[in-house]
Amino acid sequence: MVRFENVGMRYGMGPEVLRDINMHLKPGSFHFLTGPTGAGKSSLLKLLALSHRPSRGLLTLFGQEVSKLQREDLPSFRRKIGVVFQEFRLLNHLSALDNVALPLRISGADEDQIHTNVTELLRWVGLGEQMFAKPPTLSGGEKQRVAIARAVINRPQLLIADEPTGSMDPEMGLRLMHLFQELNKLGTTVVIATHDIELIRRFSSPVMFLQEGTLHHSGAEEYLKRHRRSKV
Amino acid sequence: MISFLGKSPELQLEKDASSRYLPIVIAAMVFLASLALIGLFSLHSAVQSWSSAVSGNLTVEIAYEDGVDLDKKMAKAAKFLKKFPGIEEVNPLSIDEAARLLEPYLGRADIIKQLPLPRLIEVTISEGSSVDLLATAKKLSTEVPGAILNTHRPWLDKMILLARSVQFLAAAIMLLVGVVTVIIIVFAARTGMVMHQAIIEVLHLIGARDNYIAQQFQNYFARLCLIGAIPGSVIAILTMQLLSLLAGRLEAGLISAPTLILEGWIALAMVPILVVLLTTVTVRWIVMGSLKRMM
Ligand SMILES: Nc1ncnc2c1ncn2[C@@H]1O[C@H](COP(=O)(O)OP(=O)(O)OP(=O)(O)O)[C@@H](O)[C@H]1O
Ligand SMILES: [Mg+2]
Repeated sequence: MVRFENVGMRYGMGPEVLRDINMHLKPGSFHFLTGPTGAGKSSLLKLLALSHRPSRGLLTLFGQEVSKLQREDLPSFRRKIGVVFQEFRLLNHLSALDNVALPLRISGADEDQIHTNVTELLRWVGLGEQMFAKPPTLSGGEKQRVAIARAVINRPQLLIADEPTGSMDPEMGLRLMHLFQELNKLGTTVVIATHDIELIRRFSSPVMFLQEGTLHHSGAEEYLKRHRRSKV
Repeated sequence: MISFLGKSPELQLEKDASSRYLPIVIAAMVFLASLALIGLFSLHSAVQSWSSAVSGNLTVEIAYEDGVDLDKKMAKAAKFLKKFPGIEEVNPLSIDEAARLLEPYLGRADIIKQLPLPRLIEVTISEGSSVDLLATAKKLSTEVPGAILNTHRPWLDKMILLARSVQFLAAAIMLLVGVVTVIIIVFAARTGMVMHQAIIEVLHLIGARDNYIAQQFQNYFARLCLIGAIPGSVIAILTMQLLSLLAGRLEAGLISAPTLILEGWIALAMVPILVVLLTTVTVRWIVMGSLKRMM
């Protein structure tokens, strides 16, 4: 599904923010990505979202080596990936409904179909009342839920979420984590970047730990043990 | 094509204040280009009508001389001219006719007749014949002293040269208008791209094809141009009609009203279409170019 081989990444001519990343995510797996602020979590997710190219190494997505892809092929790859951006990136002049409908519109879905699916999903994430509200009038948590709905509306094969539950109360956070789990059960590979130890504890999924630009893998138990140790 | 006049749903370009001035600029550009085009075509037809009017017509002038029987001289010249091959008609103007021609300029005909006026003979050359005008003129002045053949040719040549330069100028203006339009569109499209960079990035990352994004820009700018081009074109045509009216009032043979041949009208109708096409192509080129720079 996803394979990184000695991947490095830099912004422009700057220093490498990611070094020698090696990882392999199996189809249908569920992963947390954690690490201190500035460690490069968002940068790693940008590689996964096909928004940046690795500056070295091989990145394979859906069985295809990314650097070999033609530019015309990238949109169809991106449509298989749902992304929840750390800063949401909603379109401020569009209603919540239209924001969530965007991926469907772009892929040319039928308008009636779009309407039913989008309203159902928005109700499910508790935004039934705010369907026609524009993002600037929504709270942080509400915006985040719109962003999540937009990421999952297309039933992506790969779901990437950058701090998806950071701006809401634990209860709503859990509800959305369960949504991710549901999708995961249906076959979606999920990668969630988070600082939230509680979340990692509760879901006991494999953890990827980024520090100073390099990646360490561990199970949830192992990671939590190490985390406790470093705190003491 | 269905979405040609469709709104840009995601980019909401309609709400940009920065490109609202565009229709006015485009209207001005189309107006100038249309006027230049009208100039080009009406000069073309003017030159043609001058040539055909002038090349078939000659005037023989018999200078006034005190105490000489001008009528006799006229008759002699007319007789001489009639013998020439290729000359269709010789029409000596009587003193009354000459006076009538001058009346609008000089006043009462009965007084004009008292003036020492030269006498005139109108000569029409038959179509398609080649008369050696220089030779004819020479022979005529030896045969009838004081008779001068006016050929109008040098005058026509000068007029044609002038007309050609003006036509060249008109073509240059049209070219300039085209270049300026492209530059303006490039600026407007670039500004639009920068203003909507964030939205473009999001659309791009959720899998929108370049074409999907470019189309929204193209349609928007094409619509703005159309909004400007049509009034620009209409105002140019109205201006032409107004000029025609004024020129018609003058009743001066030379300054003919700007008349357009069919090709002229077609070309005039093409101006807005061409401007819209030019805009669409330019915008597409700019937007696709900057999208290519994204992964
Ligand atoms: N657009 C950018 N241009 C240049 N440098 C960048 C850019 N984005 C991030 N960086 C740098 O890359 C490094 C990693 O940043 P990144 O955003 O990936 O960290 P992060 O792990 O997501 O942090 P956080 O937990 O705060 O979100 C940082 O040193 C940051 O300064
Ligand atoms: Mg981050």
